[in-house]
Amino acid sequence: MTGYLLRRLPSAFGVLLLASFAIFLVLRAVPGDPAETLAGSDPSPAAVDAIRHDLGLDRPLLAQYASWLGHAVRGDFGRSYLIGGSVSDLLGQRIGNTVELTLGALVFSVTLGLVLGVLGATVKNRFGQTLLSAFNSVSLVVPGYVTGFVFVFLFAVTWQVLPAGGHESILADPQIGFQYVLMPALVLALPVSAILSRYVKDGIEQALSEDYARTAKSLGVPPRRLLWRHALPNALPPVLTALGMQIGVLLGGAVVIEAVFAWPGLGTLAEQAVTRRDYPVVQALLLFLVAVFVVVQLLTDIAYALLDPRVRLG
Amino acid sequence: MTTLTAVPASAAVRRPRIRNRYLRGLATPRGVIGLALVGLVLAVGLAAPLLTSYDPDFQTADALVSPGTGDHLWGTDEIGRDLLSRLLYGIRSDVLVVLAAVPIAALVGCGLALLATAHRAADVAVQRLFDLLLSFPGLILGLTVTAIMGVGRGTIIVVIALVETPAFGRLLRGAILVHRDREYAVAARVGGAGPLRLLTRHVLPNAADPVVVHVALAMSVAVILEGAMSFIGIGIRPPEASLGSTLAASRPYLEDHPAYALGPLAVITALVVGLNLIAEALNRGARR
Repeated sequence: MTGYLLRRLPSAFGVLLLASFAIFLVLRAVPGDPAETLAGSDPSPAAVDAIRHDLGLDRPLLAQYASWLGHAVRGDFGRSYLIGGSVSDLLGQRIGNTVELTLGALVFSVTLGLVLGVLGATVKNRFGQTLLSAFNSVSLVVPGYVTGFVFVFLFAVTWQVLPAGGHESILADPQIGFQYVLMPALVLALPVSAILSRYVKDGIEQALSEDYARTAKSLGVPPRRLLWRHALPNALPPVLTALGMQIGVLLGGAVVIEAVFAWPGLGTLAEQAVTRRDYPVVQALLLFLVAVFVVVQLLTDIAYALLDPRVRLG
Repeated sequence: MTTLTAVPASAAVRRPRIRNRYLRGLATPRGVIGLALVGLVLAVGLAAPLLTSYDPDFQTADALVSPGTGDHLWGTDEIGRDLLSRLLYGIRSDVLVVLAAVPIAALVGCGLALLATAHRAADVAVQRLFDLLLSFPGLILGLTVTAIMGVGRGTIIVVIALVETPAFGRLLRGAILVHRDREYAVAARVGGAGPLRLLTRHVLPNAADPVVVHVALAMSVAVILEGAMSFIGIGIRPPEASLGSTLAASRPYLEDHPAYALGPLAVITALVVGLNLIAEALNRGARR
């Protein structure tokens, strides 16, 4: 396992470094000068230069990158051009909320995916199959913001059992917090659960058709035990990989779902920073997202290696 | 004398009534419903000036009136604009984006696929490019591109094209590689067909199926992505009407004025479901 980690870790680190440089470069190459934007209407050239010097925009590109990265790894992403205040404070307030939403969605998508997948592999009657596949198709196809509006209309406006939007910390008050996170997390989870359920279903059906399953069956292993102890564990590794790839979908989807449910996360911050070209905030956001992808990919690979010795020894 | 001779040879290989395999796929219940949904949305969008007498940006004195009040068939929004006009012209602006972005993605993607299948070095470069583009979820790519290019219609088109180009490219590349080694292609090559004739007359007509199917899917992704970007405010911006921005503006009035949100919700759903049904119908037609 150590050998596998020694091979896998440097490549993750390299990707991260490369991505950080790309993020830095791309946003420096854009048209429009933040110094001029900041200087207000009709500024004197001297005032623009002073602001540019203040922000460090007159230094060589590589020097700017090195100092940006040096500060970034210590959690200092500079100051927001437009909102004022430090970027890390700005992000710090929001990251927790987005992580809460994404983790909630992750829990729902895994639970739903497993339940729907196992049902899909075991329910044999035609009506049940049609119902399941219709549910999966709808979750997969209808965009989250549409589902979100329908949920708000049903659960918050019509039946008034859940709040229409907003956020209460689930750590401060689990019961109230859960009511707020339930709808957005479920909406975010639906398409991912549909994808996962397909992997679970196919994996179980595949495993049940293997020789070892037939042997177990002929040795008198009851069907229930065959499913839970033999087929399901063997179906899981591909599900894990699919889940790792879907984390990006969850994070991307969170940006929209946060807007539907007035959830104070990174989504609203991203929209503001992007439309106003607030580089330090955009850079920090993108770097955070890329870091999450890389770490998730790494964790997925490690979990895969733990589950499947062929991977770590190969 | 066996009973087998009683079966006419033509029965076994009976010609289907519709010869084109895509049309045959579309002429199933699934395809017809899909075409009807998408066709209906397109038709009302095209006929917008005939169906409503209000300019989508014209502000009347009646704000937030319910459907059917006065001569506002679908009511008005918070600054008194006619919601039916906003919806119909919103369809136009969405369709424009989709019809610009998807052909670009299809052409660029297929072009890159042809390049990749023609040369090994190009293949590596193209594959890496596709990997890179596919590693961004659509909306994150949308945020990045918007940060660079600014907010606007052009940005959305670029984002959709960037999301869909690798999908088209990978599908065609894979299909060409499969069909190039099939027996009929080998036979054609042995029969003296040059590389160009082999590609255009033999391989491409057979390898095109997944690409044709994907056009419908790409359009549904484009509708969803355009809606999402306009919804969070990095797409088509007010005052111009678009389905996503109308939906975002309707959010505070969901309780008192549900028709406001219902319009864009219904249209987006109809388009997405319809396009997916069409894709599935084409796919089944091509496989038969």
